[in-house]
Amino acid sequence: MDKSNQLNKISRRSLLKMGALAAGALAVGVLPGQIAGADPDSPKYPEQLGFMYDQTKCIGCRKCAIACKSANKWEEGAKWRRVMSGARPDVYLSMSCNHCENPVCVAVCPVKAYKKRDKDGIVIHDKEVCVGCKYCLYACPYHAPQYSEATGRITKCHFCYERQAKGQKPACIEACPTQALTFGKLVDLQKTPGGVAQIQWLPAPELTKPSLVIIPKQ
Amino acid sequence: MDIYWHWLVVIYLFLGGLGAGAYLTSFAAEMGWLGENSSLRRVGYYIGGPIVGIGTLLLVFDLGQGFYKPWLLWRLVTNLNSVMTWGTIILAVFIAVGMLKGFLTFINRPVPSVVTWSGVVLAIATAGYTGFLISVIGAIPFWDSAIIPVIFFISALSTGLSITVLLSSIIEKASSENKGREDLTHIILIAAELVAVVAFVGIMASGVNGLVAQKSAILLINGKYALYFWGIFIGLGLIFPLAVYAVQYLRHRATEATVAVGGNADGQMEGPRQKQSLLTMITDFSVLMGGFALRALVIFAALPIWDGIKIG
Repeated sequence: MDKSNQLNKISRRSLLKMGALAAGALAVGVLPGQIAGADPDSPKYPEQLGFMYDQTKCIGCRKCAIACKSANKWEEGAKWRRVMSGARPDVYLSMSCNHCENPVCVAVCPVKAYKKRDKDGIVIHDKEVCVGCKYCLYACPYHAPQYSEATGRITKCHFCYERQAKGQKPACIEACPTQALTFGKLVDLQKTPGGVAQIQWLPAPELTKPSLVIIPKQ
Repeated sequence: MDIYWHWLVVIYLFLGGLGAGAYLTSFAAEMGWLGENSSLRRVGYYIGGPIVGIGTLLLVFDLGQGFYKPWLLWRLVTNLNSVMTWGTIILAVFIAVGMLKGFLTFINRPVPSVVTWSGVVLAIATAGYTGFLISVIGAIPFWDSAIIPVIFFISALSTGLSITVLLSSIIEKASSENKGREDLTHIILIAAELVAVVAFVGIMASGVNGLVAQKSAILLINGKYALYFWGIFIGLGLIFPLAVYAVQYLRHRATEATVAVGGNADGQMEGPRQKQSLLTMITDFSVLMGGFALRALVIFAALPIWDGIKIG
């Protein structure tokens, strides 16, 4: 959970790239501010919520995605949660937004449509201010932002923050019949035996530090 | 893999570089770097701001909300962490300064040097921005390279020089007396771009940026974009112009030597000169096509680090 190293690495790389440009002056004004506040030892979001997905329990019924669709009224073409099938039989992965510790969507969005909440690390996208530039579609390695041609804007999973405020579970988790999909404080989920941050073909977790724990099927 | 950015974005990236390059071409000419009394010292200023302006307008049409809620666009300057925000600011100011410089040049008024020079800085930033925008996207391994802004920047200068030469030969009454100098500049820029492209494609194809970047590179070298990559970008955009400019440059030097010795009368030169200028126009157009193909190839060959479907 070494936040500052990650930031330093990214900033150094960005600055190197900027060296090729006269726009370097801008970067110097923007990037060091981020580094200064980082404390190397504590996670930036101690109360970060995360998903946990147990591949050994999932039966591939897709009720999580169906419940999400009806609870959140997906815009045409936008899939907030997807259930993927593996090469082996009965191996699935249910994934939505991973509410990353280092959310690149928040960084790249030119209109500040994305916000990461301090209190629980949920990344919420405001569709009312999204201009539909699609930069985040390229930036997110998990394809969490979803663009709708019909409305010309992005929408994505917000961890059912309104349901959670009312004491309810996220719709996907409530709908899961086998408890394959659960949620909780990320630091607790990460203590689960057998839990990993990455399975084959998924992007390296160092890229954005997703708040997702997977229990893989051997 | 879905491609999210289409032709409007490609045209925008191309025009961004083209307009910035045109401005810088006229600046170089004004400074005397392209020879004395260069015929290129005005036209680049006329077109620099407007070309970037047209590109930016096209981009607005590509935004999902460009027609629905255009009032949201002011927010594009709000996230100072976003490279796209930097670009919005840089381009907006460049369009304004570029047009002011162009207008004052057109009506033959003295231009305050602060205008000219801020235009230079903004043009450099604009040309670099178009590449930097995509080079910061770590989830697209093919874009995740510091060489991309370098290639885009050199291509901006090269295409900017070509469009300025092309239009100057039509608009300006006095023909260029500095063919040799211009050809040499073309040669240096295209050779530099060729080196950068070989390095970039080589690195991506080698696999050091990962298997996905390698797959993107193969799309260009040997895949569905190979015809456009080798034919239009490398062939028509780089090799053909490099050969033409090199031959013209060598001939020019030979002619100069002959004239210096005291040989030819002017009338005898008319025929070959006209032919040469048609060839120059074709070659400059060829450079523009190559620059356009470059943007299209880099955008369309983007593959995500994970396709969002495949799991183990």
